[in-house]
Amino acid sequence: MIGTTVASPSGLIIGAICGLVPLLVGLRYGKIRAGLLAWVACLMSGFACGVLGGIPMIVLATAVVISYAYVDKQDPFTSRASLEEVNFEESNFEYFMRQMSRLGRTLRQYWRALTRNKAGFVGFLGLMFFFVMLTFGPLLVTYEGRARIDRRQPGASSLFQRPSAEFPLGLDWQGRSILSHVVYGGQRLIVTALQAGFATTLIAVTLGALAALLGGALDQVVVALANFILTVPQFPLLLVIATVARDQFKNPLFLPLLLGALDWPVLMRAVRAQVLSLRERDYIQAAMALNLGLPHVIFREVLPNLISYVVVNMIFSTRAAVYQLVGLVFLGMVPLQEPDWAVMIYMGRQQGAIFNADAISMLLSPILAIALFQLSLVLFTRSLEEIFNPRLRTGL
Amino acid sequence: MNAPSAAQTAAPLVSLRGIYRSFEKDRREIPVLQDINLDVYSDEIICLVGESGCGKTTTGKIAAGLLSPSRGELRFEGRLASEYRTRSERMALRRSLQIVHQDPFASLNPTHTIGQILSFPLRRHRMVENRAGLRRRVWELLTLVDLTPPGDIVNKYPHQLSGGQRQRVSIARALTVNPRLIVADEAVSMVDVSIRIGLLKMLHELRQRFHLSIVFITHDLALAKYFAWEGRIAVMYLGRIVEIGPTPAVIGHPAHPYTKALLAAVPEADPDITRRKKQMPLRSEDIPSLTAIPAGCSFHPRCPFFQPGVCDHTVPALLPAPQTGQLVACTPLAQSGTLKPYA
Ligand SMILES: Nc1ncnc2c1ncn2[C@@H]1O[C@H](COP(=O)(O)OP(=O)(O)OP(=O)(O)O)[C@@H](O)[C@H]1O
Ligand SMILES: [Mg+2]
Repeated sequence: MIGTTVASPSGLIIGAICGLVPLLVGLRYGKIRAGLLAWVACLMSGFACGVLGGIPMIVLATAVVISYAYVDKQDPFTSRASLEEVNFEESNFEYFMRQMSRLGRTLRQYWRALTRNKAGFVGFLGLMFFFVMLTFGPLLVTYEGRARIDRRQPGASSLFQRPSAEFPLGLDWQGRSILSHVVYGGQRLIVTALQAGFATTLIAVTLGALAALLGGALDQVVVALANFILTVPQFPLLLVIATVARDQFKNPLFLPLLLGALDWPVLMRAVRAQVLSLRERDYIQAAMALNLGLPHVIFREVLPNLISYVVVNMIFSTRAAVYQLVGLVFLGMVPLQEPDWAVMIYMGRQQGAIFNADAISMLLSPILAIALFQLSLVLFTRSLEEIFNPRLRTGL
Repeated sequence: MNAPSAAQTAAPLVSLRGIYRSFEKDRREIPVLQDINLDVYSDEIICLVGESGCGKTTTGKIAAGLLSPSRGELRFEGRLASEYRTRSERMALRRSLQIVHQDPFASLNPTHTIGQILSFPLRRHRMVENRAGLRRRVWELLTLVDLTPPGDIVNKYPHQLSGGQRQRVSIARALTVNPRLIVADEAVSMVDVSIRIGLLKMLHELRQRFHLSIVFITHDLALAKYFAWEGRIAVMYLGRIVEIGPTPAVIGHPAHPYTKALLAAVPEADPDITRRKKQMPLRSEDIPSLTAIPAGCSFHPRCPFFQPGVCDHTVPALLPAPQTGQLVACTPLAQSGTLKPYA
């Protein structure tokens, strides 16, 4: 799985077929430019992720195309007629169109919110760069796993090479293209970090919301546990556990879960405080008075107000997980597996790249990749705030 | 009892009997409400007035069934609230009692459009048959609260509306479930004065049209006078009702020293009248803390008509005032019919 790519030529065909839906809708309503753009979007997402990318993109892209064609003015509700004149009946088709155009308008608002904050948009572009590199890169660059002794230059003391036209980032200590390792080496690190960030958030939000909503003994136990974990120094503890639980690393979910189990307390306390304050809001009480039901209150009243906070913190947890993962590898505490940016740093140091002018790219490339990825994550959170906050999103 | 008109001799819509409520703070029980008795008849406006912290909101929440009393009983149409056992009965009771909050910025969820806010209860309680019915009802509700044209409002978020418009949405939301009683907790105190009258007029019209009872909570006696002239006023002090009766009687002939003091402090629009108004200096400006409620009549440390040995002894009961007929809780008044200034 790792070291391969999900992007494939068959995905390209899938994407092209998926894109026909918004394209035809666009042609039907005379929105040809939007239809073509939607087709390209489907093509690319199908190319990148196959059916998993193509099918959802049909819905999203079609909604956007419809939102250009079907505007509020076509909805009798928004006319300025009087109650007698308005026809409230609508066919299922009209209803479908109205809902799709609403979804499309929301997506366009998201896009506008995303591009409004310059820093956030730069972060978004950075993340897209890494996404494209990790999915499409393998189509262009072949991975070099074996040592290439044949590339030794006459008279050279090692296989390291500076960047050249043939090898844009140079060669590593085994004469392998560093570019290929940069292209392939982010997948596991980023996926593991995302999983860890997700695990952290899931634990924190579940425990925090339950503690705040149910209170009592559960609340006390959760808070005490969180405080206990917070008082233990995190990274040394991680090292100890990593040493003791060596065998577990074969399970790819062990590391994310371990990071999540250590990282949740800070976010949990914040979520708990947020839910405690949200619980007292007047609109929650109004929902209770209207008897809208507990599921409605949790999922429709509380959660939407929490979501931007949660997603932003998920990204911060992901960022923290990247550093922890790199730290663990750098100290050699987890099994090393190539290709991996962190392993590149580790091996570079091992192989004396620090003192070798020819080898500078071996250390700088992964460090730069990690730093840029982290920077993109942090910048991107700026835009998320604008996307999730209706006040900022709708402008005013 | 103290029913102002013949139409209200039927069983009260909501009735609070011997309500006590305390909150725990720092491991101490703080008595916020003590022995509240209040009947709200159908189609009636009743105003709760009193200083900040005297327990108006708590009373309102208990009357709306949103807070359970520590002691005492809540009846709805003569039946104890706890006797509403089946799920459908409890849902119906819940829907009959609605609340409109003070802060129009906090009472609407910022993540929903106005259309969504009104649709949730309509759908949940099947108040409409289908999508067309839902849209028709939302349109009607928005028109009812003068948010026209509805099409301009329905897709907006709360932050895109003014405070007065938001308060109208709050009222429309309460109306979605066809309530019998609306507790309006300082519902106009946070909107501009110029908009207030419009909102109050609208509430009046809605009340007449849908035969609503309104419990109108305010700390502003002038507002209470304007809004509840045909209804009743209950004056609260430190968790008790000290005077209750038809608005013209309470405003025109206040019996309780605290009500007199409140009325004397109301500024009039005409500064000359304000200046000529008789001042009624209290013996102390400080409101006692709920943790140390004075013995006997809790107003006695501030009362200009304090009688040592009488007022600080027993808690006065609500009894008819000598001439005017409203109920008042004042021991000297009950004993001798007059008040003598404290020497
Ligand atoms: N949930 C609660 N927990 C603890 N104390 C509370 C709670 N709710 C109200 N109180 C206390 O009860 C007292 C009365 O509160 P209440 O809100 O009923 O007063 P109020 O008359 O509505 O005042 P205001 O005019 O300021 O709204 C206050 O001292 C308040 O601190
Ligand atoms: Mg209050």
